Amino acid sequence: MIDTKAKILLFRFLVLLSGVVPALWLGWMWLSDSMGANPAETAVHFTGRTGLILLLVTIAFSPAFRLSGWVGIMIARRQMGLWAFFWLTAHMLTWMGWDQYWEWRWIWHDMWELEYIRYGLSGLLLLIPLALTSFRWAPEKMGWSAWHWLHRLIYVAAGLGVYHLWVLTRVDYLLPTAFAIVFLALVVFRVVDAILHRQ
Amino acid sequence: MPRYRYPSIPESEVTPKRLFEKRRRFLRQGVALGAASILPSGLLMPTKAEAWADEFKIQLKENMTRKDFAGDEGITDYGDATSYNNFYEFGTRKSDPEVYAHKLPTDPWSVRVEGEFNLTGDIAFEDILQRYSLEERIYRLRCVEAWSMVIPWIGFPLRELIKHHDPTSKAKYIEFEAIHDPEKLRGQQRSIIEWPYREALRMDEAMHPLTMIAVGMYGEKMPNQNGAPMRLVVPWKYGFKSIKSVTVIRALEQKPKTSWEEQNPEEYGFFANVNPNVDHPRWSQARERRIGEPGRRETLMFNGYAEEVAHLYEGMDLQRHH
Repeated sequence: MIDTKAKILLFRFLVLLSGVVPALWLGWMWLSDSMGANPAETAVHFTGRTGLILLLVTIAFSPAFRLSGWVGIMIARRQMGLWAFFWLTAHMLTWMGWDQYWEWRWIWHDMWELEYIRYGLSGLLLLIPLALTSFRWAPEKMGWSAWHWLHRLIYVAAGLGVYHLWVLTRVDYLLPTAFAIVFLALVVFRVVDAILHRQ
Repeated sequence: MPRYRYPSIPESEVTPKRLFEKRRRFLRQGVALGAASILPSGLLMPTKAEAWADEFKIQLKENMTRKDFAGDEGITDYGDATSYNNFYEFGTRKSDPEVYAHKLPTDPWSVRVEGEFNLTGDIAFEDILQRYSLEERIYRLRCVEAWSMVIPWIGFPLRELIKHHDPTSKAKYIEFEAIHDPEKLRGQQRSIIEWPYREALRMDEAMHPLTMIAVGMYGEKMPNQNGAPMRLVVPWKYGFKSIKSVTVIRALEQKPKTSWEEQNPEEYGFFANVNPNVDHPRWSQARERRIGEPGRRETLMFNGYAEEVAHLYEGMDLQRHH
């Protein structure tokens, strides 16, 4: 029998892996020269997808906790959220540095001119206060209620992220549809859960 | 990054080892054929596919001229040009065509020439190869998705074919249809666009000397994923105009609807001329990523062919007729 503490430790380790393994995978692709003909695009897509998946997984921790009642999920949620933030930040930096080659004139131009860049960037901006208030003492300092309200921004950020992917997709909507369905399911669960618990 | 490849000797000046060996094999086959003529027939005959591959090579070795229309910008790596493709007949990922294009049934291949031509009918691909003399042309290729390559195509001007089939006075447009075979082409099992893929040019565009039918690239016959056995190449238009694996060439009086126009007329206009000043509704066309290069290049008006083609569009509102 594994005791609860060990189980929690194991789960936190799994969350750690989900943040680190994509980096190893990307590093392996780079070293084995399998980034394809357009490595900048490959890197931008890879970081973006990883970030969005981890963001949706972070949101899914809440229903997972509601359904299972296991406390380990809530303990590891913060770490998962930070990994999502890490990958989405990497996504932005890969776009700016590798894809745009730090050409600020054009980065600036695209930020204002292109709809999908605006949605993506605003989603990431919304995550910054969440990352900043992810320290253990933050909820107590700012009050649990305020902290909870602030952290509901993750839904807005994820929605913007999914819409960002939707807008830039060309013709084949299989992937963005999958992301959208997962996102909407999570929103519906959250809303229904809130209504039921208020009664 | 191991990119930036500027070959010091033009690639076509060097006979690729593979080609050299095939040429040897062809000579041996010639000897074998000579022997076959006095032996029971059918014993040593090369297959039809081999025969036209060899015909192709004879033309390549003996008659070919090379013209560089890309201002010495450096030819894109062959591996990149054959592994990063938009050929939705095989799937929407860039890597799909390379993986699945071996299923493309290229032999036998014929093209139906129909509509407002005086000379119509089904033409075997071998006959097309024999009828027109091949040349090599290095063109920029600019995709509507803001990436680009430089490709050494092998082919002949489309105008030669049009002239041969003698269009009637009603012929104002040339329409093309690509292969339709959902059983072999997995991408056609999903109706993301209406199959078969259709493209069209105005007659003056089709007759322009830069417009070509390509049957090969990089000194070889056309790889399947790049549109074997024959495709259109219109270097001043976005890549989607250059329809692959053509099966029908049709002269028309009325302007036809193309596949992309039907799919989304706002985003993919009929003309689709490369134009850095007219953005795609969702992304910028001002710059492009040249595959194999870091950073981005500024996109040239008509993809750098303004001198040759700008007169075709004089007086037209290029914003509206994008």
